[in-house]
Amino acid sequence: MAIRDTSPLARPADSGRAGGGEIRRRARHGGTGTISRTLRSERLAPFVLVAPAVLIIVALRLWPLLLGVNFSFTGDGERNGTMVGLDNYLDLFQDPLFRGALRNVGLLVLLLPVAVAIPGLLATFIYLRVPGHRVFRSVYFFPAVLSPVIVGAIFNLMLAFDGPLNTVLAGIGVGPIDWLGDPDVAMFAVVGVQIWATFGMALVVFLAGFATLDSALLDAARVDGASLPQIIWHVIIPSLTRTIQFVFVTTMIGMLTSMFGLLYVMTSGGPEGSTYLPEYYIWIQQGQMNRPALASAASTILFVIMLVVGLLQISVLRRAGRED
Amino acid sequence: MPGSRLSKWVVAVPMALLALATIYPLVFTANVAMKTRRDYVLDRFSPTTSLHWDNIVTAWTSVGMARYFANSVIVVTISVVVLLLLGSMAGFALSQLRFRGSKALFLGCLAALFIPFQVIMVPLARVMADSGLIDTYPGLILAYVAQFLPFTIFLMTSYYKTIPPEIVDAARIDGNTTYGVYRRIMLPMGTPALLSVGILNALFCWNDVLISLLMMPSADHRTLMVGVTALRGQYSDDIPTFASGVLIAAVPVLMIYLFLQRQIADGVTAGSTKG
Repeated sequence: MAIRDTSPLARPADSGRAGGGEIRRRARHGGTGTISRTLRSERLAPFVLVAPAVLIIVALRLWPLLLGVNFSFTGDGERNGTMVGLDNYLDLFQDPLFRGALRNVGLLVLLLPVAVAIPGLLATFIYLRVPGHRVFRSVYFFPAVLSPVIVGAIFNLMLAFDGPLNTVLAGIGVGPIDWLGDPDVAMFAVVGVQIWATFGMALVVFLAGFATLDSALLDAARVDGASLPQIIWHVIIPSLTRTIQFVFVTTMIGMLTSMFGLLYVMTSGGPEGSTYLPEYYIWIQQGQMNRPALASAASTILFVIMLVVGLLQISVLRRAGRED
Repeated sequence: MPGSRLSKWVVAVPMALLALATIYPLVFTANVAMKTRRDYVLDRFSPTTSLHWDNIVTAWTSVGMARYFANSVIVVTISVVVLLLLGSMAGFALSQLRFRGSKALFLGCLAALFIPFQVIMVPLARVMADSGLIDTYPGLILAYVAQFLPFTIFLMTSYYKTIPPEIVDAARIDGNTTYGVYRRIMLPMGTPALLSVGILNALFCWNDVLISLLMMPSADHRTLMVGVTALRGQYSDDIPTFASGVLIAAVPVLMIYLFLQRQIADGVTAGSTKG
């Protein structure tokens, strides 16, 4: 590595021979001007190739991140542009809607194991070739390609007070339940729909993990007479730590950042503000309340939450993996 | 024991029920879309007796779904082409060429991957407004490209890392410049990855609602998904037309899914196995 760093500004990887040959051949054809021009153009080539991508990422992702953090310490409306210190953050924590949004994040974290266990268990059965496993695989994956807007719109119909779900429940003597109108129920209904819409994604990731599993281990466990729960607990989970970790993190990120469409279509944050999540709160403050600085403060908090959740999960799962 | 026949069926039956629960909501919606308003009010569950295409036509013409559909097709197509072009260029440079700062650039790219749109949407809207790009096609396309470029670069870089450097060397000995290697070797050899990443990006852009809602405020610039959300307000008492609009927006995705399921799954899992 050290040698590489002191080499000329740019050169193709592992191509000392090839580069030399090229220069020699070019030297025969053209004059020295051509050589230096070609050389310079070759030296610059990698930078030219990455430049547009870097420019866009820096200008439209990294720069706005800094801008937003800075923005969160300024005021809205009359105090536009002046530094107000932590006022926005104090406002946020006094706002019952934002506190409700944070509570709902807590609820998502609590429900996370369920959202990971369901696809994990289903993937296990598919891997063990239950009858019809091919069909299950493609059917389960299909909602994952639908837009949250489509899913939300469909479930507006499914969860209507006189809709199919309540009809089915009435058949077994339950309900009717006002899925999207009852503040105590609505958030669970939305999370349930989110899990319905995304478990196929996690399932496919799990199956890719199973493909790397050593089947000799499974056979050995079977010969030793292990039961299915024992196999899952002692063979499958320890072998798939990396996959499980990946699914945990991506599912959590998905819950925190891809439920906007569902909330927007299904509940608009209601009833009584019970289905707010930070991303929806940011949208409302930015788009409807015209308080971009307050929205920026909420964005910054969301970013911190995501960092903390991500790092926590990785470290917890790492430790669990090491103990096994 | 999973090997025994009985326990397999004990598992398979609930899984079949779950599969039914996965399919049924869409079947229900399609069924409703084919009913007349009267039939829907009388009995929304029974299989429709007539194929009532009028709802689809109403949704397509008078509600403006045609316009929204066209907007989505334009924006998604250009976004995906730009994403694949920039992503493969950067992926080639980061995987096969060695230059000062390449490691840092790749790490920067990974970091950008973990910045969700919600975190930067307020300042991004301001940047776009200041540069006059808000409510324009280029503005929305730029926003999509910025959103999905880190992911595209990440996957293209991991794919191009599997191409042996000897191939690049050989192409250079044949007299190709770096750009020639990109155009004649990397682009053709990257086809499977480009296809997979392209489909995934097309799905992301097509399915997005938040970015589009933020970048395209005016009504005739709506993309299809924003159009569906607007439909809900306009047709809250005409459920069959509403369901038809939903169906119009879902059908292209279902088509892609039916024919390209494997590529989609490959793209989704590439991040987990190579990451």
